[in-house]
Amino acid sequence: MRWPGSWKSPSAIGLLKGTPINWLLVDRDAGLGPVIEEAKRAGLQVAEVASPPAGVDLIAGEWPGVAMSRGGDGASAGPTGVPWVDSNSWKIRLEAARRPGADIWVDAPPKGVAVRPSSYRTAIADAAAYGGRWVISPDAQLAAGLVDGKADALRTWQEIAGAAAFFAMRRPWAAYLPEAVVGVISGFAGDDEFMGQELLNLIGRTNQQYAVLVKTKLPETAFRGLRAVIYVDAQPPAADLRKRILDFVSAGGLLITGPKWGPPPGTPGRDEHPGYAMRALGKGRVAIAKRDPDDPYALASDSALLISHRYELLRFWNGGAVGSYLTVAPDRKRAVAHLLFYADRGADHVSVRIAGRWRKAGMWTPDREGPRAVELEIQQDAVELHLPAVGQYAAAELEV
Amino acid sequence: MYKNCSRREWLLRTAAVLPGAWLAGSRLGRAAGAPALPVAVARCRTYDAGELVPALSRMFDQLGGLGRLVSGRTVGIKINLTGETTYRLGYAPLEDTHYTHPAVIAATVHLLGRAGARRIRVLESAWSTAEPVEEVVLRANWEPRDILGAAPNVEFENTNYLGSARKYARLMVPTGGYLYPGFDLNHSYADCDVFVSLAKMKEHATAGITLSMKNCFGLTPATIYGSGAGVDEPSVLPNGGREMVHSGYRQPSRSAPAEKDAKSPRDGGYRVPRTIVDLVGARPIHLAIVEAVRTMTGGEGPWVPGGTLVSPGVIVAGLNPVNTDAVCMGVMGFDPMADRGTPPFENCDSTLRLAEDAGLGTRDLRRIEVAGTPIVQARFDFAGLRRARRANAVRQSG
Repeated sequence: MRWPGSWKSPSAIGLLKGTPINWLLVDRDAGLGPVIEEAKRAGLQVAEVASPPAGVDLIAGEWPGVAMSRGGDGASAGPTGVPWVDSNSWKIRLEAARRPGADIWVDAPPKGVAVRPSSYRTAIADAAAYGGRWVISPDAQLAAGLVDGKADALRTWQEIAGAAAFFAMRRPWAAYLPEAVVGVISGFAGDDEFMGQELLNLIGRTNQQYAVLVKTKLPETAFRGLRAVIYVDAQPPAADLRKRILDFVSAGGLLITGPKWGPPPGTPGRDEHPGYAMRALGKGRVAIAKRDPDDPYALASDSALLISHRYELLRFWNGGAVGSYLTVAPDRKRAVAHLLFYADRGADHVSVRIAGRWRKAGMWTPDREGPRAVELEIQQDAVELHLPAVGQYAAAELEV
Repeated sequence: MYKNCSRREWLLRTAAVLPGAWLAGSRLGRAAGAPALPVAVARCRTYDAGELVPALSRMFDQLGGLGRLVSGRTVGIKINLTGETTYRLGYAPLEDTHYTHPAVIAATVHLLGRAGARRIRVLESAWSTAEPVEEVVLRANWEPRDILGAAPNVEFENTNYLGSARKYARLMVPTGGYLYPGFDLNHSYADCDVFVSLAKMKEHATAGITLSMKNCFGLTPATIYGSGAGVDEPSVLPNGGREMVHSGYRQPSRSAPAEKDAKSPRDGGYRVPRTIVDLVGARPIHLAIVEAVRTMTGGEGPWVPGGTLVSPGVIVAGLNPVNTDAVCMGVMGFDPMADRGTPPFENCDSTLRLAEDAGLGTRDLRRIEVAGTPIVQARFDFAGLRRARRANAVRQSG
C-alpha cells in the first residue's frame, strides 16, 4: 500500500489490521517516522517508493477503466468508436516476460479527487488478474474519510481489502500458464518501443489471447500452441530468430510481418486481405503488409482477421468494455479465465465462449467467499458460460 | 347499394368505372393494380433440418416451384444480421432473436441449389465492418461451412463496402423514388439474376415492422450511407450505422444520387419507410422469405428495450414482397391496411402502404392467395403483446 502523506498519525496503521496488506510504500522525507515505527511493530514491511524491495518491479501504470472524455461527461472512443479502456495488463505481462519470477507491483494512483468504489475493484483486478499487484492508493477523499471514520469510506476500504484478500488467497493461479493464439515478437525497446508496446496494449483490447515474446529471451517453448506470430520490428530478425520463425511457419503457423522483414519467404499465395500479400511456406502462411505497419490498432485488428475468428479462445456477448486472460494449469486439466468488466455498473447477461473441451465450470467473484453457480453449455470444442450479474471481475474456473 | 361494403371496397368498385388514364396515374389506381401473387405460410416448430427443409420445400412448391425461378441463374440472398455480433437478448443466441437463422439460410441455399441455381451468393452489409461475412458469422458463433456447403457454388459477400468490385453499381428507382432517385450499392445487388430477401419477422422501433422489405434497408453500404461515409467519394471502409438515412442529418457521398428534396421531413418515421420502398423499387425482390420459428418481440434487436424471445413457429414466403409482408402482418395480428397512427405504425408511415402506392404489390389480404396454413391458424399475437407492453409502460410512467 502506498501510504497517504496526509496520514501522519500512527493510529491509522490500525486500518490495515486483518487485511492482506504487508508492505507500506512511503515517500521520502514525508515526516512519517512514528507511522513507520508503528508499522514495523505491527509486522509490516516499509520501503520508500523510490527504492522498492528487492525482487519487486514497481512499474508506473495508468488508472485503469473506461477512459472518460475531458470534463468527465462521457466515455472517449477508441479508433473504432468503442469505449477506450486504460489497462495495465500488457505492462504487467511485458515485465513478467522481461523479468521472469519478479513480483510486479503497479503504481497507479487514482485520477481525480474522488473515485467510485467500483474503480478500486477495477484497479485491483486489472493488476491481479494478470499476475501483478496494484499498490493500494486511496484517493484524497477516501483517505480523509477513513481518518475521520466515515461509514461510506470504511465500507469502501473493506471492499478494497476484501478484493485484495480474494486475489491473495488465489496465488496458485499464478502458476497457470497463459493460453495464446498469437505471439508478439519484439525487442519492445528503443526503435521498437512504441509499436511493440502499443501492439500488446491494443491486441489485448481486441480480446485476442496473446503471448509476449521478447526476442532476446525466447524460451525453447515460445511458439508452442500458437497459431500466429507477429514480427514488425524496425530491423529484420537475426538469423537464428528468422530460422525459428520460419520453422514455425513451415510447420503450419502464420507469420504476420512487414516489408522490413527482408526478402519474402515462400511462394506467392492467395491474397486474403487487401492490406497484405500472402505467401505459402511449407504448411503455413506468411502475411506481409503491403506498406510498413505504423498503426498498432490496425495491425491488431488485422491479425484477428488473418488468423480468423474461428480460433478465438474467448468470445463475449453483452460484455461491454471487457478484458480477458485465459490461463491453463501445467497439467492442462484446469483453466482459469480471468474476465474483467471495466464499466462502473459491471455487467449483466454476459455470455462467454471459452475454447477447449471443458466439462465443468465454477465462477468466483471478489464479493463472495464461495463459488457462484454459472450456467454451462457444452459446444463443439468449447463451452459457453452464462454469467449472473457481476461487478468488475469474475474468474471462470474450468475443468476437463 | 353501398351499405354492405367498406369505404375501401366502395372505392375499389368505383375505381373500376373511372377513366383509365386518370386511374393509372393515381394512388388509388396504382394500389388497385398492384400485383397480387400467392404467398405460402407454414408452421415449423424447430430449426431441425428434418422439419425445416421439407417445410420450405413444400412452400416453394406451393409458389410454383423454385426451378423456374432460379435454374441456371445467379441468386443473391440478402440475409439479416442487424447490429453488432456481440449484442444478445439476454443469453439467447443471435439467430433465435434478431438474425436470420443459419439453419434457414442453409436450407434455403440447399433448395436453391437443388433447383438448379448456378451460383448462390449470400449477402449482408455487416455492421460497421469490412470483414468477410464468414468471419462475421463466426463471431456470432455460427459455422459458415454449414451454409457454404449446403449447395455447390455458394459464396458470401459483405456488401457494406465496395467489396470485390472496382466500382459501385447504380440502381435507379423506376418510379423516380420517394426520397432517393437511386442508390449506389455493392455490385452484388446488380450482379444477380434472382434476388431473395431472407428476413426475420420482427417489430421495428422506427418502421413499425421489419419483414422482407425492411430487410433491404441493409442494402445500403455504410461507406456511402453510414455515419463515417466520405463526403465526396465513398469511404474505403464502412464505419457506423445509417443514422444519415434515418434522420437525414447529412447527405450520402456526393458521388451517389442525392436525396430528391433535402427539405423533406427529417423524421425517421417518414424517411425510413420511404427509403425502404425506394430500395425495393431499385432492387426488386423475386422471392421473399420471412422466418419466425423463433424471434423476438418489441423491436428489431436487443438494443430496443422490452424485447422478449418468442417461438411463433412460422415461416412465410412469397413471390412479391408487399404481398408477403402483408401476410406476415396478418400472422403477427396486425392489420396490413393500417396506416400512420395505428399499430404497429403509431409513429411512422406504413412501408406497405407506400409500396402499394408505388405499385409494387398489394397489401390487401383479400386479393392475396394464401397457400398452406391459413393465417388465422399461424397467428402469433405480436399485436396483443405490443398493446400489453405499451399499456404497461403507460402504467409505469403514470
